[in-house]
Amino acid sequence: MAMNPIGDRIISAFFRPGMETVDFPSFVRVLANFRPTETNRARDYSRNRKLRFAFQLYDQDRDGKISREELLQVLRSMLGTQVTEEQLQSIAERAIQEADLDQDDAISFDEFKKSLEKVNIEQKMSICSLR
Amino acid sequence: MQCDSSVASLQVISPSFVQQHACEERFTQPGREEFTGAGLLLLIVLVLLQGSVLPLGATSSPDTTHNVDNRQVKEEKYNYTKKAFPVLTLDYHHIQAPFEISLWILLASLMKLGEYHVNVTHALVPPDTSSVRHCARELPVDHRGSSRGGAHQTSWRRSPPVLDSRLFFLCLLPPIILDAGYFLPIRPFMENLGTILMFAVVGTLWNAFFIGGLLYAVCQIQPANPSILHKIELLPCLLFGSIISAVDPVAVLAVFEEIHINELLHILVFGESLLNDAVTVVLYHLFEEYSGAGTVTVLDCFLGIISFLVVAIGGVLVGVIYGLLAAFTSRFTSHVRVIEPLFVFVYAYMAYLSAEVFHLSGIMALIACGATMRPYVEANISHKSHTTVKYFLKMWSSVSETLIFIFLGVATVDGPHHWNWTFVTVTVLLCGWLTYVINKFRIVKLTTKDQFIIAYGGLRGAIAFSLGFLLDKKLFPMRDMFLTAIITVVFFTVFVQGMTIQPLVELLAVKKKQEAKRTINEEIHTQFLDHLLTGIEDICGHYGHHHWKDKLNRFNKKYVKKCLIAGERSKEPQLIAFYHKMEFKQAIEMPKKPPPAKPAEKAEKAPSQLPKGREEEIRKILRSNLQRTRLRLRSYNRHTLVADPFEDGFGDLLIKKQKMIELEKKIKDMNNYLTVPAAPPDSPTMCRARLSSDPQSYRAKPESDSVPTIQVDLASPQSPDSVNVMDEFRRAGQQRGGGRGEEDQGLMMRPHKTGEGADGKDPQKLTRCLSDPGPSADEEEDQPFLP
Repeated sequence: MAMNPIGDRIISAFFRPGMETVDFPSFVRVLANFRPTETNRARDYSRNRKLRFAFQLYDQDRDGKISREELLQVLRSMLGTQVTEEQLQSIAERAIQEADLDQDDAISFDEFKKSLEKVNIEQKMSICSLR
Repeated sequence: MQCDSSVASLQVISPSFVQQHACEERFTQPGREEFTGAGLLLLIVLVLLQGSVLPLGATSSPDTTHNVDNRQVKEEKYNYTKKAFPVLTLDYHHIQAPFEISLWILLASLMKLGEYHVNVTHALVPPDTSSVRHCARELPVDHRGSSRGGAHQTSWRRSPPVLDSRLFFLCLLPPIILDAGYFLPIRPFMENLGTILMFAVVGTLWNAFFIGGLLYAVCQIQPANPSILHKIELLPCLLFGSIISAVDPVAVLAVFEEIHINELLHILVFGESLLNDAVTVVLYHLFEEYSGAGTVTVLDCFLGIISFLVVAIGGVLVGVIYGLLAAFTSRFTSHVRVIEPLFVFVYAYMAYLSAEVFHLSGIMALIACGATMRPYVEANISHKSHTTVKYFLKMWSSVSETLIFIFLGVATVDGPHHWNWTFVTVTVLLCGWLTYVINKFRIVKLTTKDQFIIAYGGLRGAIAFSLGFLLDKKLFPMRDMFLTAIITVVFFTVFVQGMTIQPLVELLAVKKKQEAKRTINEEIHTQFLDHLLTGIEDICGHYGHHHWKDKLNRFNKKYVKKCLIAGERSKEPQLIAFYHKMEFKQAIEMPKKPPPAKPAEKAEKAPSQLPKGREEEIRKILRSNLQRTRLRLRSYNRHTLVADPFEDGFGDLLIKKQKMIELEKKIKDMNNYLTVPAAPPDSPTMCRARLSSDPQSYRAKPESDSVPTIQVDLASPQSPDSVNVMDEFRRAGQQRGGGRGEEDQGLMMRPHKTGEGADGKDPQKLTRCLSDPGPSADEEEDQPFLP
């Protein structure tokens, strides 16, 4: 966990904003996001929830959008010191361009959802022992 | 030894009679000699020589007489009266074998062409089935009986026309499997590995026993007319069950390629067909061995299970070893790039053959080899070699597939048949239906529709037929009946299921494959999610497959990549590599764009006369071109990428791009955007076009003072430029460029030479020039540039 690039984000996701401790219900609530979906009917709802959780991890200041700076931070933490600042910039630029449909230079939740529509979120974000 | 002499005398006119005998010897003792890469070609020729049809009427009887004639002619030479010198002679036997091989391949390819044109109008029939139909109709059935003794009089040995099992397994099957394995999408495969294994192992076992047992039962319950069916024992039935239960990768590939089904289903059926080879091999050998004995004890079953593990894991291990060897070799090929593709092919083929030596699963070895070596080899070899590998694999597998189906058709029309209604119908009905049980274990359930498609997609094919063919007639008197049944099943599945699966897919509205390319967003988010899941699993304390995948990745990055990837690329993170690949692809498509830019610039000469609609169009064109070029060029930062003299030019363009960002902002804000000079969108494309060494197509535009134009001279890789920063780059570039050697300079200097294997189009030229990154020996900057 210490080596995980987004470890600190994950941990802070368990804590509600402003609180220093996490109690068991909130812990369970967060983990419940990773339950595998059972029926087809609940699929959309569960997919939404999972995506929203992931979105919150990007969007640290909780303004509902992933700004360029936030994206850069994530990229920086994932790629570390192996790439130059310029490369990071261009990747972030490219990512925003591809996803940003309303041209506001940030990725909203809907745009985030749309860019991941081909990815099998239900399978990726499920831990099967959490049934 | 006669084999060696025949090998040596291949170039010489040799009576095919002698050669065929030599071949027979060679192939009855397969383990004796080692087939090297050069022997491969020889192998193909000799095998085909042995089993080839002579449709052109030239029978073998002239062979012996030809032999005799030769000697007679030699003896008579001395009292030979001089005739006129023969200006034109006909000597078919000289080139007989290669000629026939080429003819077959040509026929196969022409059929493929014909089918395409026919399909454009009919659009119903999958290509492989029509090839079977064609050959069944067209080929002259020249059955002269398959006698064994006195075999040199007829062209047929123990095999039916052309489909010699060894030919099939050694020459026709490997290209298809290697193609499949090399381009196997690893991520979906690994994610669904549990399901795939379950289908492959448990499913096939279940199918084999069930079909075999049921067939035996059916054969026994025919009290009314005691037919020959009663004579079939349990073991041959089980053997038949094991042959027929295996889903065939060739057929699956052929049919599923056409229907564009969604990735999940595709990988499930396809993965199952690949992995069940191990099961098939073990079951086949097990039952074949013990059919002689008649009984199978518990010990034998136990040994069978162990044997299965050995076969499967051993096959994969052999493949992985060869894959790593290939990756390691490719690390050193930076100076001899032309033979890079050869390493890929030969190592893979050796993996296959080595696995076959020990009766391990050759298919699994091939898959493992291809999948293992791909990430490392692709990081090492040049872009040209990569293209070569891709196209050669596709070409070989395509021809192989067509040939297989043609031969299958010929064998149908021609082979020894023994029809038995009950047997055949029951077999056909039983094939393929087990997905319900497996569904319980999946995380994401398959819908009923999906299950049905998976069951429906279980095609049987040529592998089943060849395995049936290899059965010894003495031990299995029912062999002909088996063969008939196998052929019927193959035809049924391929024709009926293959043809109807496409309308069925549409009818059931199964999700189709998403055609679009993977975007960088997906890549970023997928990696992010991987990290997220690993973290969550850590918190839970549950070591799921994310955890192990993460560990494997770390191990890979730390040790393996350093060994196997040459130079700088070993440190490149996956995201960056992906990003570069995408940019590169886009850059290749870029030169197709310039024509739109041209009318744009012309339009800007007369700003006031343009209507609003045209303005919008131009604006869009400008913006899209600007965006692309900016992103394209920015990625090639000199500090992290390997040196390439051309890239120095891009270092200059990097500065330029920053100016263009500002320009674009200006475009957005400005009302009268049409006064923006035309030079910026043009010059990068112009420069690129220049780099692609076609000086006549574009001329330098007059510079505006805001943007420096670059004139890249063909004679030198560096561009003279007035900006100070550029000088730095240039100097650094000179150091590197000088050491790089004249060969790259030469590449630039000879713009129109097509000797590099590219075709003459502009985009391809661009590819050629940019294509050869490769590790450079004198790369000086190792650490990234920190601002």
